[in-house]
Amino acid sequence: MNALKRRDLPEEQRRALRRQLLRRSGVYVAAIVLCLWILIPIWLIATMAFSTPADVRAFPKPFFPNPISTDTITFFLNAEGILSSTANSIIVAMLTFILSTIVATPAGYAISRFVFRGRDAIRLGILSVRAFPIVILAVPLAITFINLGIYDNVFSLALLHTALVLPTSVLVIASVFASVPYELEEAAQVFGCTPFEAFFRVVIPLTLPGIAAAGVFAFVTSWNEVFAAVLLTLTNRTLPAQILFSLNKASDPFKFAGGFFMLVPSLIFIFFIRRYLFNMWGQISK
Amino acid sequence: MKSQKWLPYLLVLPTLLYLGVFFAYPMVSALQLAVRADVSYLPLRVEPNVAAARGDVLAMQTVVEILDRVRGEELLPNGRTRPIFWFLVRGESVSGEVVTGWANQQNLFVESRTESTQARVISGESASEWTLQHINTMFNDFRFRSAIWNTFLMIVVILPIQFVLAIIMALLLQAQPRGTTLFLYVYAIPLGISDLAAGLVWYALFTQRGFINSALVGLGIIDTPFIFIAAGREGWIFLAIVLAEIWRATSIVMVIVVSGLQAIPREYIEAGEVFGASVWQRIWTIVLPLLRPSLQVALILRTILAFQVFAVVIAISGGEVFTVLANETYRWYDRGDWGYNNPNVAAAYSGLIMLISLGISFFYLRAVRTQEEVAKA
Repeated sequence: MNALKRRDLPEEQRRALRRQLLRRSGVYVAAIVLCLWILIPIWLIATMAFSTPADVRAFPKPFFPNPISTDTITFFLNAEGILSSTANSIIVAMLTFILSTIVATPAGYAISRFVFRGRDAIRLGILSVRAFPIVILAVPLAITFINLGIYDNVFSLALLHTALVLPTSVLVIASVFASVPYELEEAAQVFGCTPFEAFFRVVIPLTLPGIAAAGVFAFVTSWNEVFAAVLLTLTNRTLPAQILFSLNKASDPFKFAGGFFMLVPSLIFIFFIRRYLFNMWGQISK
Repeated sequence: MKSQKWLPYLLVLPTLLYLGVFFAYPMVSALQLAVRADVSYLPLRVEPNVAAARGDVLAMQTVVEILDRVRGEELLPNGRTRPIFWFLVRGESVSGEVVTGWANQQNLFVESRTESTQARVISGESASEWTLQHINTMFNDFRFRSAIWNTFLMIVVILPIQFVLAIIMALLLQAQPRGTTLFLYVYAIPLGISDLAAGLVWYALFTQRGFINSALVGLGIIDTPFIFIAAGREGWIFLAIVLAEIWRATSIVMVIVVSGLQAIPREYIEAGEVFGASVWQRIWTIVLPLLRPSLQVALILRTILAFQVFAVVIAISGGEVFTVLANETYRWYDRGDWGYNNPNVAAAYSGLIMLISLGISFFYLRAVRTQEEVAKA
């Protein structure tokens, strides 16, 4: 291939090659520009989070942390209510993770494995819940929770967050189960497993990563959710609610470190569930 | 696929129950909160006795004339009794007629129980009735017009840019340059970023001592920092919010478009290539029409999410200078120093957001279906 030099080729083919090369580099340039569009703002907020508070207040601002310092982050973490609200956020997100997995897994399994009357209607019904602005339902739920005496409580917030992620969880988990052929379950039963054993010893190990990915997505959604959190909590705020609540009297170092601190888990979680993203959202359009 | 009688229903039951309690019920109760009001009325008695039949009904704060008074006795829950005054009063009823009837001292404000000739109705029995007052309050609020205008303007400006960007990202990934997985990861990062964090990131860029001013002053383009975020600079605030939203929320469209692209058989595109269609022709005439179902889903999802945008606006502008519908919902609900502590009007806003979202979803679905029907015919 290399022996054939480019100038030996006829003019027409050389032009085609040039065009292909141009197109190829065009793809790279465009792909990299779009990456920079996403990464540069993250870089800048990270720069702020790892600069000294003096550098954060300085003008013009440094575009690289120099010197690298954890003072700004430490200042943010020591601000009133941040550590306790972070703990609350983790509790709410964990509860949402657990609750949504427990409720959604059987439904996902039923939708992917069984033929039953009303299956399509149920699937469509669950799907159409996504067409409602669920977060907005925090207003009536807050009133109900006040009347029931469970207002301002991490558990009641987790209940709403579970409703928020449940439709997505069910559909994702259904698609995860659908990716494991039913024949495997049958084979296990042929070799003497009961249906329950077949499910727990064959299907669960194969689908666990996918189910976990759905759970991680539930966790991230809950960790990020602000609107319901500010409505449903007062003293037991979650991290986003606490930050939002302190915004109008907060200094810039607090805001920048807070923005960065909230952003880090998403960088990590999206990395772990990136393979399942298409399961998650691709399903919906089918 | 298995077929079983009751097992699948049992398995989906928890999800359906859960959505019933935490989705369907609150939705109905949001609409109810928006159109119901708690009111109190005082029903007069025909005799000075709580057991007596109810007569005409008086509104709160009605001033009544005292015609007569008797001392009665009230039975307490512990079985004892205590003295209580009953007054025969005359006043204007809810229906506008002058009526007379008995009421006791618990429901009336009387200066002197033995001498006053006038009293005022201060309490009664509470009831819930249909009302448009919350919806009127919402429509007449001075922020309502700008909230609805800004929300729609945001959607109209953001969505087309987002879709073009997402389709470009998806097509670039489809071209499979080296490092596709890395590009995919980077494009997907914002999926996990909250609107609050995104708002704070773009606040860092647009604030007076932020990065945009740092760059402009550093490069010598301007001498003093330009103030983007201030009252009267709504255009700049709008720009910052639009950029933050495009930055944050394009990923979800990208992921849906990528999975839509993967579902298009390669043969279709190759056939186009064989027949000499250029890249643009292949995109316009083969890829985009086949992507329509995915785009439709992405459009519905993005529009609904756009109506819920809230923290971006507060993080960038503080929520006072520039406002959107979800922000007003919060303002009316909020019990803090800046809020109005009125859940009914907040529910009216939620109901409005819900109705608009549903209307738009329905419109998108209809618009596409009719085109398909036209194609079939």
